[in-house]
Amino acid sequence: METAAIQTRGLTRRFGELTAVDDVTFSVAQGQFFGFLGPNGAGKSTTIKMLTGLLEPSAGAIEILGQPFAAGSLDLKRQIGVVPEGMALFGRLTAPEYLRFVGRMYGLDRETANQRTDELLDFMQLSNETRKLVTDFSHGMQKKLALAAAVIHGPKVLFLDEPFEGVDAIAAGMLKAMLQRMISRGVTIFLTTHVLEIVERLCSHVAIISQGRLVANGSLDELRTGVASSLPGLEQGQRLTLEQIFLSIVGAAGQESAQELSWLA
Amino acid sequence: MAGVGNVEGSASILASGPFSTVARSQYRALAEMRWSMFRNSLRTTKGALELGARTVAFAFYTVMGLGMAAGFGGGAYAIAAGGKWEFLPALFWVLFVMWQVVPVTLASFQEHFDMGGLLRFPVSFGAFYLLHLIFGLVDASTMMGGLCCAGIWIGLAIARPDLWAWVGLTLVLFAAFSILLVRAISAWLDRWLAQRRTREIVGALFFVGLLSMQLLNPAYWSSEKYPYMSAHTRAVGVRVLGRVNAMQRWLPPGLAAVELQRSAGSQAMPAMEGVSLLGIYVLGIGGVLGVRLRGEYRGENFGEAPARKRAERRSRSWLLDGSGPFAAVLEKEARVLMRAMPLIYGLATPLLMVFLLAGMFIHHGAAARHASAFSWLVSLAYAMVGFTQFFYNNLGPEGAGIQLLFLSPTPMRTIMLAKNLFHSILFVVDAILVCILASVRLGLPSPAAMAATAAWALFALPVYLAAGNLFSLRLPYRMNLGRITRQRGSQASALFSVGAGTFAACSFFGNLWMAVPILLALAFVAIIAWKKGIDKIDAMAARRSESLLAALVRAE
Repeated sequence: METAAIQTRGLTRRFGELTAVDDVTFSVAQGQFFGFLGPNGAGKSTTIKMLTGLLEPSAGAIEILGQPFAAGSLDLKRQIGVVPEGMALFGRLTAPEYLRFVGRMYGLDRETANQRTDELLDFMQLSNETRKLVTDFSHGMQKKLALAAAVIHGPKVLFLDEPFEGVDAIAAGMLKAMLQRMISRGVTIFLTTHVLEIVERLCSHVAIISQGRLVANGSLDELRTGVASSLPGLEQGQRLTLEQIFLSIVGAAGQESAQELSWLA
Repeated sequence: MAGVGNVEGSASILASGPFSTVARSQYRALAEMRWSMFRNSLRTTKGALELGARTVAFAFYTVMGLGMAAGFGGGAYAIAAGGKWEFLPALFWVLFVMWQVVPVTLASFQEHFDMGGLLRFPVSFGAFYLLHLIFGLVDASTMMGGLCCAGIWIGLAIARPDLWAWVGLTLVLFAAFSILLVRAISAWLDRWLAQRRTREIVGALFFVGLLSMQLLNPAYWSSEKYPYMSAHTRAVGVRVLGRVNAMQRWLPPGLAAVELQRSAGSQAMPAMEGVSLLGIYVLGIGGVLGVRLRGEYRGENFGEAPARKRAERRSRSWLLDGSGPFAAVLEKEARVLMRAMPLIYGLATPLLMVFLLAGMFIHHGAAARHASAFSWLVSLAYAMVGFTQFFYNNLGPEGAGIQLLFLSPTPMRTIMLAKNLFHSILFVVDAILVCILASVRLGLPSPAAMAATAAWALFALPVYLAAGNLFSLRLPYRMNLGRITRQRGSQASALFSVGAGTFAACSFFGNLWMAVPILLALAFVAIIAWKKGIDKIDAMAARRSESLLAALVRAE
């Protein structure tokens, strides 16, 4: 049996009285494009922080590429790339300076870091902004730069926390193509986003977290089958969208009438 | 916004004036929003401390304003009672300049309320204009200017009770002009200062100006034995001043003063003309402000105007040719330092101050020829103050970038070592410059004093670094690299005390050379302590990672 790229067992994180992530167990196979979904405040970012060593779990275990993972697992850290929630940018550097710095922090030699920096800047269409400080970048440009930084060392596992937020349609298309190419080369991608169309198009497997607990996990077809059996009014042959699946699972379906605003035209 | 939804159709809303029902409900909503923000800010300790600081600042400005008002009032009374009305323009001009300059100098340190944010609501132009004025009223300059106007009014009214109403009218027009002009200037400045680079430039210029003023006193005293002005220069100066005086009478501060002078001389018609002209000035500057605000109201955003494209130039790999994380951190630190005015200011100011303060001792005879054994020690201790924020919050400038330091496979020990090395190099360079400056001004201390000072520096630096690493992990705070903050010097004072105590004790026994082995022994202990600390840094960083990330990644 092939080693899982990411494996969690009973992953839990408490903040005082609040249990943000509660006993979450899942597995992501190598080369899988894995969508991790959930409503706001469900525990997505907390989970990704634990998986990348930014937050220590209160309980449970994490394995990355078959090895136990903790904040001090430096060898494993070399094999993962992350676009975290706060993007981890240094505002007072220019984009090339930042990418070179990141490359060298991940152990690339200067020449390789320089070469990959130039390629990534071209790819991300940031090569015209090499003199500008990162702090002066637009949000979308910062996202592109954060993504470039996450892949500069050629990671085997990529964690992306809302990577498409604020990115224009052209760049988003390029990024999707790049991510799909990475998948075809065996990279595992763990993606959290609120844009369900992207997950539907890119991800082969999806997990849904709600109020800190994992409420669904499987391939898109498995989730469709599971949800279809629980929806009484569904016509035969009708293919459920991920949005319908998501709303059905997190319990927001059928609330349209209750959420209507009487005064809104 | 409360109540807005009751109004039918956006056209009627846009057509409504600044005092319409809709506009009033918008003002109420805005006031409630500001109140809620204020109330919510008190939930945190930081918010409560900020309130305390603002209360103290308000009390300070009030006392300052009352003091200035008493001064202006006294001056106005003396002028009116003595019949020396020709001096009244000077009073008005001083007040006018103060009114305009104070908000400009404070601008780079203040948070701004972005009026542009209101444009997404159906706010009429009149309401937008009024709100712009109101938000500008609650500031130090208007408060102090208003108090000074009141002081002038009281002073003149006591000296000439028959003129109280006329003086009041003139001062109201003068105050209105000053307020509108301040708002017109700040309408541009607010947008301009919205850009990080310009805000830093203004901040830097302000501090350079402030420091330059410190040089006036030594410059004045050093030239006291020379005549200030030749007869020819004096004649030219008088001629220029005469022309300036003729012109200033047509400008609002001079006009207000001249108009009061005329009314005091019972020249009713010229005084009326003066008031009318002042009124025209008020309307004129109100119109100028209106033109600017109309642009903003239509969506123009001066602050976001695209910057002129510079010629593309490849970034130079100028600093270190080494690879690896250690060199990468060193290079990054150097780049960040060169782009962070507050850090450069922190390093440069002690140098300048040592130069200036050393000058104070030159005039005291003996010290000029025989440098004190303490001269290098005191200078170095003072220079060390500039390093407080480097050492004690060495992760603070990283901001959200701290995540990368935790995500990367580079141990925190490597990162801290690189930072410590970089800061040590800076300190050594600063220390050498400070000693050169002190020697130029005060002369060389004795060889024993020089050796003892070097030994003290060897002791102080690792202590500073070790304590700094600990504080950086335990009490980090996000550093705003666009803002200059005060330095904290308590640690430098404590280290200075150790050095000064050793120097004093050894001097007492008549042999300052004794201080060298003592301080070197202390330095040895300090280096071991620093080494032990740095070896434990990874474990400490792992334990403190959550609070570090929470403190540094959090948005400002």
